[in-house]
Amino acid sequence: MKKSSIFGIIIIAIAIAVVISTYSNSSTYGTFTEATETQAELHVVGQLNKGKELYYDATKDANYFSFFMKDKDGKECKVIFTGTKPQDFERSEQLVLTGKMQGNEFHASKILMKCPSKYNDNKLNVAEATPKTANL
Amino acid sequence: MDIAFKNEHLFVGDLGRLFVALAFGGALISFISYFFATREESLNKDTSWHKLARVGFWLNSLAIVGMGVCLFMILYNHYFEYHYAWSYTSRSLPVYYLISGFWNGQEGGFLLWMFWQAVLGNILIRKAGSWEKPVMTVIALSQAILGTMVLGIDIFGARIGSSPFLLLRNAMEGPIFQNPDYLSFIKDGRGMNPTLQNYWMVIHPPTLFLGFASVVVPFAYAIAGLWQKRYKDWVKPALSYGLFSAMILGTGIIMGAFWAYESLNFGGFWAWDPVENASVFPWLTLVAALHVMIVFKNTGHSYFTATFLVLISFVLVWYSSFLARSGILGESSVHSFTDLGMFWHLVLAIIIFLVLSIYFLVVRWKELPITQKDEDTYSREFWMFVGAVFLALACFHLIVVTSFPVWNKMFGTELAPPTNVVKHYNIIQACFAVVIMFFTGLTQFLKYKKTDSKVFVITNFVYLGFAGLLTVLIFFVAGLSKLQYLYLVVIFTSLYSIMANGKILAEALKGKFKLAGSAVAHIGFGLMLVGAVIAAGTSKVVSENNTGEQYSAEFAKEENPRENVLLYRNEPIEMNGYSVTFLGDTIEGAQHLFNIAYERKDKDGKLVENFVLRPNVIQSQDGMSSSPDTKHYLTYDLYTHVTMTNVLQNKPEEEKGGHDEQQDDDKNYDAPMTHEVGVGDTIRYRDGVIVFKGVNKQAKLQNIPLTDKDVAVGAQLEVITHGRTINAEPIYMIKNGSAFDFPKKLEDAGLKLRISKILPEKQKFEITVYQQPESKKQFIVLKAIQFPYINFLWAGVVIMVIGFLMSIFRRNKELKTT
Repeated sequence: MKKSSIFGIIIIAIAIAVVISTYSNSSTYGTFTEATETQAELHVVGQLNKGKELYYDATKDANYFSFFMKDKDGKECKVIFTGTKPQDFERSEQLVLTGKMQGNEFHASKILMKCPSKYNDNKLNVAEATPKTANL
Repeated sequence: MDIAFKNEHLFVGDLGRLFVALAFGGALISFISYFFATREESLNKDTSWHKLARVGFWLNSLAIVGMGVCLFMILYNHYFEYHYAWSYTSRSLPVYYLISGFWNGQEGGFLLWMFWQAVLGNILIRKAGSWEKPVMTVIALSQAILGTMVLGIDIFGARIGSSPFLLLRNAMEGPIFQNPDYLSFIKDGRGMNPTLQNYWMVIHPPTLFLGFASVVVPFAYAIAGLWQKRYKDWVKPALSYGLFSAMILGTGIIMGAFWAYESLNFGGFWAWDPVENASVFPWLTLVAALHVMIVFKNTGHSYFTATFLVLISFVLVWYSSFLARSGILGESSVHSFTDLGMFWHLVLAIIIFLVLSIYFLVVRWKELPITQKDEDTYSREFWMFVGAVFLALACFHLIVVTSFPVWNKMFGTELAPPTNVVKHYNIIQACFAVVIMFFTGLTQFLKYKKTDSKVFVITNFVYLGFAGLLTVLIFFVAGLSKLQYLYLVVIFTSLYSIMANGKILAEALKGKFKLAGSAVAHIGFGLMLVGAVIAAGTSKVVSENNTGEQYSAEFAKEENPRENVLLYRNEPIEMNGYSVTFLGDTIEGAQHLFNIAYERKDKDGKLVENFVLRPNVIQSQDGMSSSPDTKHYLTYDLYTHVTMTNVLQNKPEEEKGGHDEQQDDDKNYDAPMTHEVGVGDTIRYRDGVIVFKGVNKQAKLQNIPLTDKDVAVGAQLEVITHGRTINAEPIYMIKNGSAFDFPKKLEDAGLKLRISKILPEKQKFEITVYQQPESKKQFIVLKAIQFPYINFLWAGVVIMVIGFLMSIFRRNKELKTT
């Protein structure tokens, strides 16, 4: 066999290995219910429950932030994040948490927020425009 | 729709829209004319197509400049009736940020891309000679497609492109636009995203876009080579432009990393964010392409791979721009744009260039100069080729992982990226880095075509041995015990490559100067990898906090990183050998700087070093954003940023003022404590002690004149808190028979001191101490990270760019001599 053919086969093998390893490493977007059933870390997509308290008090503990999130099925769960409260957290439209359940609490190692975008926000309401007259 | 709006500046927008149309029209004419000029070249001597094509392209170039001027007029004059100006700028923005406001939106990005492509096109018209017609056909096509991106016109109900000259009242809905005088309500724009208000944002996007735009040139040459059946000639000019493109694109990417490191707060220079990765795709394939092109040029082998890699690089430029702009990354990226309704438009652009590439490869397949002869195992070209293919494989892995949302959309799956995606990238990319660095070293010992195998094996072992020794040395000097085994191998092969290329460089300095460019670029790349691996792998959070009052027991079990520390104003804490104090905040323009003093003392308590870091917290309408400040040392960086503060909410009380509010003011403090003290007595309180130094019987008050009968007494108090001494003198006064007291507030110490009574019979004063509760005191939450040896990374980049420059000069010289 020609060297280039052997090399070609090796390259294809590596490419397949890359795809397989990536696939086996991939995780899923789940719900809190699924999170209780597994020990592995997973992603949970949901919305911040703005009605309930967001707890962050730097003077008590600068690395403890807790809040309540509703997942796609509407199930609510307390979430604990070891770190400071992300900036503009209250404004988030959607949250993607990475982490796992511990008891009744979901411990997030990463929070990805989706904030209302300038582009999506295609309505300029008067409420937004009025304060502008004030800062003449 | 018949409202006559007041005060609008419609002319500049209309002019802009005219330029948009002209730019598109010019590019289209140029494309068509160049196409026919190329086809008819051999048939007759008629040059009218050619002339028309050039005129079309010049028209396009002028119109792009016109668009830029119009847009700048709008931004500069704050015409907020335009959506673009209103969205990205505000009146308070300094002029140099107005320039970066220019490419803040996606439309501006396209404009920049078109501008660079026009510049490159004009250079090619002058320089390309016999290549002009076919090459410019492709570039004019690309220019026309870019032109559609900013058209912003409605055809059959569908909006084609997005124009930067869109009016606010057309972009948004709202009752306010029923008012003909709506502009008088819109006094200011929304302002620029605070993280973009950074000088790097003025130069990073133009550089990156020049990099992206210039990939079109090698692409156009490759297509032209296929089209005109000039399979061999296209490589030489394409090589020069490709080197330029790789240099600029690489610089642009690293500028982005530097910007992230200097002004974003994720704590690092690379986060494997999909948008970042996407910008690397074309760079990796282009660098691979350059290597294979050299292989092809020297040996005639690997024509297909060279062409394929060049073609795919440009397709990946479009793919990368699709990922960033289509909104598809929504769930996995922090800083992608959202969809402007151009999802399918962008997909179409990718498809056009992909189909164009495939079409030419298929049509010319039988004619392609593909060699059947096998490459010699001991030839430099063979291993160069292998290394380049591994570079492309590394890119393939990046694409597979970054494109998860695309796969989900295509196949209807619900896959999420790996939970620890950074680790996943690090490990797999490190494996590729090991192989690639090994080959960049190995090939240096091989000669073109054929090498003596015995000498080769021996020299290799010597160099590998030295690299191993050096790795061990660095391991101990830099303290890499934290680093995983795999990353040590990366360092090892990088060092091997640096030394092997060093040898070539040394030889080059003696005379064979031709190879110096690649050697320098390889050394730079190796150094960059060493710096990146050490800095990222051994970066240490120095603001470790194990004092969480409430929840520590729970967390201690999990070994979760506790990376933020609380700093009350003027209360120093110890951190990694430094005594760190939050001194206060200052406002400078749009910046809100937090002054944090670092002091280091030696064993005897002598001050060795002190400096102030000033991380910045910008508050704009869209929220707060914090950027770090970094102390740069030769061997490491100390990075500091504010993750949280109450300073912005709790404005100092002095603004309230007034005596009526004295009662209210007391509410800002904890329940007061009264102490009966004589001169020399000491009062203890939470944060220190207060010493009663003496009585001032001639106390004076600024606004109140005293008569002989009146008495004013001051208590000279010395507050010692956290190593600082502050003097305070509250006053007690008897005027016209009634008693008044004037408390003294010490904002810095969070104290209010008051003489509540004088007890003459005991020779004592009753002092009331008000302390601010912990939560009312000004504080910041701080995160500090130490990045060791990060300067290797930046130095490596600079060296690599120099290497690219040297290579460009060399290839240009070759181009002229032939």
